[in-house]
Amino acid sequence: MKETALATILRTGPGTSVQDLGRTGMARFGVPLSGAMDLRSLRWVNHLLQNDENAAVLEISQPGFSLRFSAPTCIALAGALTEARLNGASVANSTILPVHAGDRLEIGALAKGARLYLGVKKGFQTPEILGSRSFYKNLTDQSFLSKESTLPYHPDSTLPQRQHAKARWSGDWFDTDTLSVHPGPDFPLLDKAQRKRLLEEAFTLSNLADRMGMQLVEPLPNELPELPTNPVFPGMVQLTAGGKLLVLLRDAQVTGGYPRVLFLEEESQWVLAQKKPGDQIRFCLAKSQETRD
Amino acid sequence: MKPIYLSISPTLGELHWDGAPDDALLASQLAWMEMIQAEYSQQLLEVRQGFTALSIRWKRSDSQLLLQSELSKHQPPPKELPSRIWEVPVCYDPHNGRDLADLALRHRMSINQLIELHSAQTYRLHFFGFLPGFMYLNGLPPQLHTPRKAIPDRKVEAGSVAIGGGQTGIYPQESPGGWHLIGRTPLQPFDPRRNPPVWATPGDRIKFEPIDRETLEVHLQNPPIPKAK
Repeated sequence: MKETALATILRTGPGTSVQDLGRTGMARFGVPLSGAMDLRSLRWVNHLLQNDENAAVLEISQPGFSLRFSAPTCIALAGALTEARLNGASVANSTILPVHAGDRLEIGALAKGARLYLGVKKGFQTPEILGSRSFYKNLTDQSFLSKESTLPYHPDSTLPQRQHAKARWSGDWFDTDTLSVHPGPDFPLLDKAQRKRLLEEAFTLSNLADRMGMQLVEPLPNELPELPTNPVFPGMVQLTAGGKLLVLLRDAQVTGGYPRVLFLEEESQWVLAQKKPGDQIRFCLAKSQETRD
Repeated sequence: MKPIYLSISPTLGELHWDGAPDDALLASQLAWMEMIQAEYSQQLLEVRQGFTALSIRWKRSDSQLLLQSELSKHQPPPKELPSRIWEVPVCYDPHNGRDLADLALRHRMSINQLIELHSAQTYRLHFFGFLPGFMYLNGLPPQLHTPRKAIPDRKVEAGSVAIGGGQTGIYPQESPGGWHLIGRTPLQPFDPRRNPPVWATPGDRIKFEPIDRETLEVHLQNPPIPKAK
């Protein structure tokens, strides 16, 4: 039996959750994919810590977070840019650092980006349900972490390897407002003017945004029929009868009846995960398969 | 009944059938799903069913191109649908199905006639979606088709049996919902601690068996194991 340590949440805003790569293959039971909204940052954290790529990390989407560790480990941060402090001392943009028993990590405002990822060596050890530790309502015991929640992890006193000490923590990759898309299966139902508007105009992210999806402010009026319920995936853009555009994200239901007009490339879903309500985005058709290969 | 293949992205595409979902479409869809899982198993991330589409997530883009090039050679014979029928006990009463009386009035029938119509039918399970363990069932008698509520209820109890549009279903968890509630089952449609977390399989049939309120109360304390015949 491995020894278990605990990280205790001292303070958190709403929406903090444990996430890994998600529950691939469980959609056949109606179970959403879940997993980190920004997979690029999840992978980076686990790479730095030399973890399994599916190791569970914390996804933090509100400022004002702090955590106390009961035993030594290494932690890594990625995603949104923030001011992190360890026992009160600024951790200047370090991406990986050792912590000791009793150490307290504090996260301030998210200066740039919307989601911060915090990993520990070997990952957080919350229960695995249907192949994943990703939080999801009614599936895992908790939907979100709150003050005094505890997270088990395996203590580890190995110091971080030197070549990783200067690993760059950059938010440049999500600067772009352009999201790369493919036409969705129901795109052909749109008329010429609707297609032009969808692909040429800017859209604003509304504050109706969570892990299930983000609604866009500008409507796309339409008279498309409701369709038979068919599969939907994170990254699909649905057009509701009321003209609302809804970008589905990791916790989206697995099937839906609204026309599926666009599908975001995976990298663009990660960019979108770092956007905030009020930010503008544009949809741009992805390069065709032929030119890509 | 042959589907067309539509590529959505280099690693996502779907087989699409024309026409309204019915047993023949489902038999063809299940045959294609089985064939793809057998012939392309190493190349698949996931296969996902809907009423008229079968979506396929591929590990690599060349696997999708391979299926597209080989599509015409595949002609899987329709799969024989299972004969299994699951009995789902339902307490139909205004206490457990708060829209039962309104719905009967709306369709100009008595509550008993509504219960009789809903429970005489067998329903075909096409796939799971919407919520974990939510069954998409086909076969609601046209006399019971009812547009969804304009304003969804904020809280629907787990186990609620409901009608929405041309469909009927069971809410597996407490959630908001826009369907009309007609009763409640003590069965648990979804248990995340088990794998598989559901008891029925696409192609199975469901039959609702009316039970009284006392039986419901007893079974809610100790949920029965679902029975099939």
